[in-house]
Amino acid sequence: MAAIEVKDVSFTYPTAEGQALDHISFGVEEGEFLVVCGKSGCGKSTLLRHMKKKLIPYGMMEGEVCYYGKNVTELEDRVAASEIGFVSQNPDNQIVTDKVWHELAFGLESLGLSNEIIKRRVAEMASFFEIQSWFRKDVVTLSGGQKQLLNLASVMVMQPKVLILDEPTSQLDPIAASEFLKTVYKINQELGTTIIISEHRLEELFTMAGKVLVMDRGKKVALDQPEHIGMKLAKEHNPMFYGLPAISKIYAKTREKGLDPYLVNGQEKPPLTILEGKRWLKQILGDKTYSAPSFTTGEREKKDVVLEVKDVYFSYSKHQEPVLRGLNLSLEKGQLYCLLGGNGVGKSTTLKSICGIVEPQSGHITISGKEMKKKHRNDFFPGSLAMVPQNPQSLFTEITVEDELLEVVLPMKISDEEKVSMVEEMLEKMELSALRENHPYDLSGGEQQRLAIGKILLLKPKILLMDEPTKGLDPFFKRTLAGILKDLTKEGMSILMVSHDVEFCASYADRCAMFFDGEITSEGEAVPFFAGNCFYTTGANRLLRNWFPDAVTWESVVRRLVHE
Amino acid sequence: MKFLLEGLGESAGFQKVHPMVNVIFYVLVIVINIFSNDPVFLATAFLCAWFYTVILGGVKTMKINLLITLPVAVMMTAINGFFSHNGATVLFFINNNRITLEAFLFGISSACLCVTVILWLRTFQVIMSADKIIYLFGKIASVLGLTLSMVFRFIPLLKERYREIRMGQQCMGRHGKGSLIQQMRQLTKEISILISWSLEASIETSDSMEARGYGLPHRSQFHLFKFQKSDGRLLFVMLICSVIILPCCVLGYTNCYYYPVVRLKPWSFLKALAYLAYVCLMVVPMILDIRGERKWQQLKSKM
Repeated sequence: MAAIEVKDVSFTYPTAEGQALDHISFGVEEGEFLVVCGKSGCGKSTLLRHMKKKLIPYGMMEGEVCYYGKNVTELEDRVAASEIGFVSQNPDNQIVTDKVWHELAFGLESLGLSNEIIKRRVAEMASFFEIQSWFRKDVVTLSGGQKQLLNLASVMVMQPKVLILDEPTSQLDPIAASEFLKTVYKINQELGTTIIISEHRLEELFTMAGKVLVMDRGKKVALDQPEHIGMKLAKEHNPMFYGLPAISKIYAKTREKGLDPYLVNGQEKPPLTILEGKRWLKQILGDKTYSAPSFTTGEREKKDVVLEVKDVYFSYSKHQEPVLRGLNLSLEKGQLYCLLGGNGVGKSTTLKSICGIVEPQSGHITISGKEMKKKHRNDFFPGSLAMVPQNPQSLFTEITVEDELLEVVLPMKISDEEKVSMVEEMLEKMELSALRENHPYDLSGGEQQRLAIGKILLLKPKILLMDEPTKGLDPFFKRTLAGILKDLTKEGMSILMVSHDVEFCASYADRCAMFFDGEITSEGEAVPFFAGNCFYTTGANRLLRNWFPDAVTWESVVRRLVHE
Repeated sequence: MKFLLEGLGESAGFQKVHPMVNVIFYVLVIVINIFSNDPVFLATAFLCAWFYTVILGGVKTMKINLLITLPVAVMMTAINGFFSHNGATVLFFINNNRITLEAFLFGISSACLCVTVILWLRTFQVIMSADKIIYLFGKIASVLGLTLSMVFRFIPLLKERYREIRMGQQCMGRHGKGSLIQQMRQLTKEISILISWSLEASIETSDSMEARGYGLPHRSQFHLFKFQKSDGRLLFVMLICSVIILPCCVLGYTNCYYYPVVRLKPWSFLKALAYLAYVCLMVVPMILDIRGERKWQQLKSKM
């Protein structure tokens, strides 16, 4: 009997026009690992929420969702709470209590278990998740990745048979995300728990998943083994194809163009990992080496430098190690500059010191020829400098999207007509016109991001700083965002962006820099920069670097392969 | 005695005792203190409480002790002295009002009582960590304990969010700029962001609670405290002491009269016994702390 069976489910939200779910049917066997993917707003969350009794959204529903043959809505509360676990996106909002140990025990307290049993189960889980060392800590002291692991552990402690995860890693950095997914995989493999997970970052999940469900506008587009999804979507020219991992895209596209398949024991097996991909390329390319790429390292046309950071040292207190150690950086007019690097290497501190929120102990920061000083920091805002914070919510004050934008222009000394036309223009540019009457909090993550950028752009800064703008965005909106940023740089705006997102930076940045231990260790134009890195580079480049080190994006890889 | 400089703080031995024992100690000590206004009893309690703050907070805590207690003491003595006209021994007249010695003495004694309670409460703060308080409230009703725990979670979260909002506003060039009225308006804006953000987030929190079975009947309360044998012994000592003192309190052996003239209860066997038991009760945590610290030092020197 299937662990979860979705039988012809359709769903409409009370005020919405279209259907959020449109006649969806599928089954998930016991112990299966199912990945659900699709654009944000395609109905993934709505679907997952229908599997958890207490989280079923209000609205018109047809069909039924069954848990081991029994309708989910008819399950006994105690069973529904403990046997089906649910973890959602935001690590902070899911935590209820102040201590790690108390959070772990929360679910078991609800079930009314005795102190001895709770203690035993909590101890088991803490050991399984390796969280003994922070067992007695306050939850505020944990990192984002630790918080999300805690959320997972405090669900697992109730010993669920089915675990549902709704974009659990979207707010985490790549390393924490990878660790989290490995833990989920371990749960699946070692405990046999059925896993249903929705996610945007698919590279790793494709190697773990038993099946992949692709959704688009509330409909089931495909449900297949991860190996076959790529070819299937490519054949159908489905736009969902662009959301797949690089290796699947490369394989499907080149197979379409007539390249030889990857054969294992005489049977075609589309590769899912870099290792398999390399074996495949070895089969078709052999040990041939190709002419080394010739990067035009010659003189670049120097443009005006709008932001210069020179020999900046900064430490938060006298007793602490400096966070910035002789940082040098220069941003030219019309450039999209990406600062990459791991956690806690000082990327955010760099942005703070450029904004004058903290003042470096030594060194200079010059913005459009004027030196930034904490005392005079307000002179730079908003004309020359503005920043989009990591959390768009931290900017929203009004009750509609339109008001939100109007709020920015209101204090400006221009006529009312001009103000209205500025807002109209921005709504158009950020593709928010259709949503103008919506409440900012009702927008999806990508739409909120657009609104925040729109607000900042109305201030007309010459330099735009962005802190992790691609966090939590789906691959489709990332393409839109890249288009918006490209347009802005064409208009002469300079953008400095801090990011973890290697693929995004490789595809769209003009210049990239690697930040490590308080300074920039390597810098260059996007392609030569990534071609020069061995590990810290895109999946496509790691796959092909033995043959074509200059192929950095998956499109360029496909082009080179087909060409040879 | 080196620890007296820095104070033991949360490493104190009494801190590691079961919260029930802690709370019984404080209830006993404070109740007995309130019903014993004999000068000897008052002075002893005051000294014990004072010394205990020093054990926990170090020598530097005496400055804070003085800052809190002196104003209270002076005010209470002065107010009672000048506004209460009871008492037989007239010192002088102000506007035909009798200012009596007894009124002053009564003022001093009630000030002493009040200050002692304050000092005990200062040590209470150190000894009773948030965890213990959550546990005790949870004993009354598990919802109370949970609510408290959620409050302790929420406060730092709010602070963190506000910091982020302020940073966001600073990056728009909006913070700390313009006239006072503009700045006030900016502050209300920031607070309104904070409120709507938190409300939005709390929807997700309540989802997470329901998903983990919140609202099912017969909720239990998990805690990490263990009632050990030593806790039992401690409780036994404390109860023996109070069984001696409390009846003496009721019978008035620990009291005295201030009006119309000061009349002390003469020392008797029972009064002496009650006094001894009272001192015993109050020094129990100190002995525990000092002994714990000694042992630790010995172990450290052997390592």
